Amino acid sequence: MFSISTEAKVGLFVLVALIILGYMSFRVGEYGFGLKKGYIIKAAFENVTGLDKDASILVAGVEVGRVESIALKDGMAVVSMRILPDVKLERDVRVSIKSYGILGDKYIEIEPGTRGVSSLGEGEEITRVEKQADIDKILRDLGTIAQDVMAVTASLKKVIGGEEGVENLSAIVRNTRELSDNLNKVVKQNDEKFSVMVDSLKNAAMQMDKTFSALSDITERINEGEGTIGRLVNDREVFDNLDRTVASLQDITDKINKGEGTIGKLVNDEETVENLNASLKSLDRSMEGIDRYISKAEQFRTFLSYRGEYLFDTSDAKSYVDIKIQPKQDKFYILGVVADPRGKRTVTETTTGGTTTRKEKWERDELLFNLMIGKRYKDIVLRGGILESTGGVGIDYFAFDDTLKFTFEAFDFDADRDPHLKIYGEYRLFKHVYLMAGWDDFISDERNSSPFAGIAIRFEDDDLKYLLTSSPIPTK
Amino acid sequence: MNRISIALDNFGRAVLSNVEEMGKILLLFVSTLVWMVRPPLKVRLIFKQMEFVGVKSIYVVVLTGTFTGMVLALQSYYGFRMFSAESLVGSTVALSMTRELGPVLTALMVTARAGSAMAAELGTMRVTEQIDALYVMAANPVKHLIVPRIVASVFMLPILTIVSDFMGIMGGYFVGVTILNINEGSFVRNITRYVDLDDLYNGLIKAAVFGLILSLVGCYKGFNTSGGAEGVGRATTEAVVLSSITILISDYFLTAIMF
Repeated sequence: MFSISTEAKVGLFVLVALIILGYMSFRVGEYGFGLKKGYIIKAAFENVTGLDKDASILVAGVEVGRVESIALKDGMAVVSMRILPDVKLERDVRVSIKSYGILGDKYIEIEPGTRGVSSLGEGEEITRVEKQADIDKILRDLGTIAQDVMAVTASLKKVIGGEEGVENLSAIVRNTRELSDNLNKVVKQNDEKFSVMVDSLKNAAMQMDKTFSALSDITERINEGEGTIGRLVNDREVFDNLDRTVASLQDITDKINKGEGTIGKLVNDEETVENLNASLKSLDRSMEGIDRYISKAEQFRTFLSYRGEYLFDTSDAKSYVDIKIQPKQDKFYILGVVADPRGKRTVTETTTGGTTTRKEKWERDELLFNLMIGKRYKDIVLRGGILESTGGVGIDYFAFDDTLKFTFEAFDFDADRDPHLKIYGEYRLFKHVYLMAGWDDFISDERNSSPFAGIAIRFEDDDLKYLLTSSPIPTK
Repeated sequence: MNRISIALDNFGRAVLSNVEEMGKILLLFVSTLVWMVRPPLKVRLIFKQMEFVGVKSIYVVVLTGTFTGMVLALQSYYGFRMFSAESLVGSTVALSMTRELGPVLTALMVTARAGSAMAAELGTMRVTEQIDALYVMAANPVKHLIVPRIVASVFMLPILTIVSDFMGIMGGYFVGVTILNINEGSFVRNITRYVDLDDLYNGLIKAAVFGLILSLVGCYKGFNTSGGAEGVGRATTEAVVLSSITILISDYFLTAIMF
């Protein structure tokens, strides 16, 4: 029979036991092994009651270290914490003492700081320490609150607790019940009366209906212009005026009605009525005229502008005088004259024997005309019409609250030549004063192309505005 | 007057005999220490005792450890349930086993099993004059009989305690997690959180001291047996009683010193 020696038995037994011991030590002291390598950081707390050596240090609930020691320094409890070497704590972490449940062990909670902030090193101190919630203080506060509540209930008890209070309460309830009973009675008793009321209301409504239909009959006839009132109504001007004057007339008529004296007789006199009627009409006309005049004048804006341009390559100067009439915010007309040193071009074609001779002639001292309509869409203005006495279009782009303007114009379209294109920018230097620079006729095939710079003066002219808007008032 | 003097007389005699006995035990311990370091070391005899004290006590220790752990888990569960802290059952069982119950229960079981056997064995050898024969053969009985037993006990008790601790925690785990449905994770986590290496090792130191006590007392009682078979029986009983009492008393002081 197979047998093992005493020594083998003992050896095997001891070996097994030591393996168990090793396993248990490892599990229990699991932390102890890696931790001795960790680094120490410190934090000074006001109060560390209940915190023991080897208490856990948690970040987001994960254990990252243990309390190494607690020492007293300048009245503060300085806690040294051993943190696992592979755990990095930012310099702005917040540290606080917490407990597992209300009666549980204390531990240190570290709230992570901002990512990217440099990490704490060996022996450094966490500066952001949060006060520990003091259970004693909480309990004391709770006690105070309980006392307050008790005081309130006690006074409440005084009010409604005694026999008197109970009586009062029941009296209130009794009164309320009586009140509702009475209300009920009132409603029941008046039930019939209510229905009678509703019926008569219905009748009234029916009669109103009839009245309205009769009224509409009358108004129809008035619309058709029958009778005095019809005529009066169809004359819109009078109607409008009436509307406005009725209020003041009400006042006067009231007085007249009361007067019954001289004015009363005056009113009854036929002649007076006619006279009054006539004068009212004329008054109304003038009122409307003033109305139109004012509203137009308010909308209308007129601008006068002078513009001088110096063309570098041709050493010439061009002058513009424009009136810009702007009846609406986004709509305008431009009227202007241009003094161009090149003058006005006239073409004469003569046909002799099948060949056409074409003659161009420039008249130097002729003025050119601008006549344009334009419309503005936000920052872009499109305009077109007659530009320098030829057909043309322009586009303006406004920037920086209208202080800067870019303009492109194209005019003088001719099948034989390139059109006259002009591009320039305009900058508002001061109020009313503008500087500009650009390129005139830049695709010219007649050596007319030239960069230019200029100055413009532009202002709003109110006198001109009133001159334009004051249309003649018709008078009788 | 006479009766009082007799009572005092008896009391004084008891004190004296106890003090004398303690002195004798101490002397035996000193001579054991002396003979322990004197070569040649009787390795074979030590192993034999180790097998007897250690290996053959496994079943007893495993059973007591396991069931102690299980009953601890069950009892503390009812207590902790009142605070909704059932997961603390694990740490309670583990702490109790490693610090107290493991070493003490193992020591008591080994006392009952091996300590008594030592007393009986040596007592029989004494009354059958085999010990005298050893003297005649110029073989020191302390070296041949006592040193191996004490060395084996001091060495094997911690080993047995490890087994007892482990089986106790396993028993507690079985009851707590399998039967009482305590969350396994927090059960184990609380064990590792609250049990320190110190708890484990101090328990083992205690066990070694208990091993010394039980073997020393057992050997002393057996070595100083007189009065035939009856004397052997008395020596065995006394050895077990004295060892157990000494173990429990010294347990308190050891705990006070170590923790």
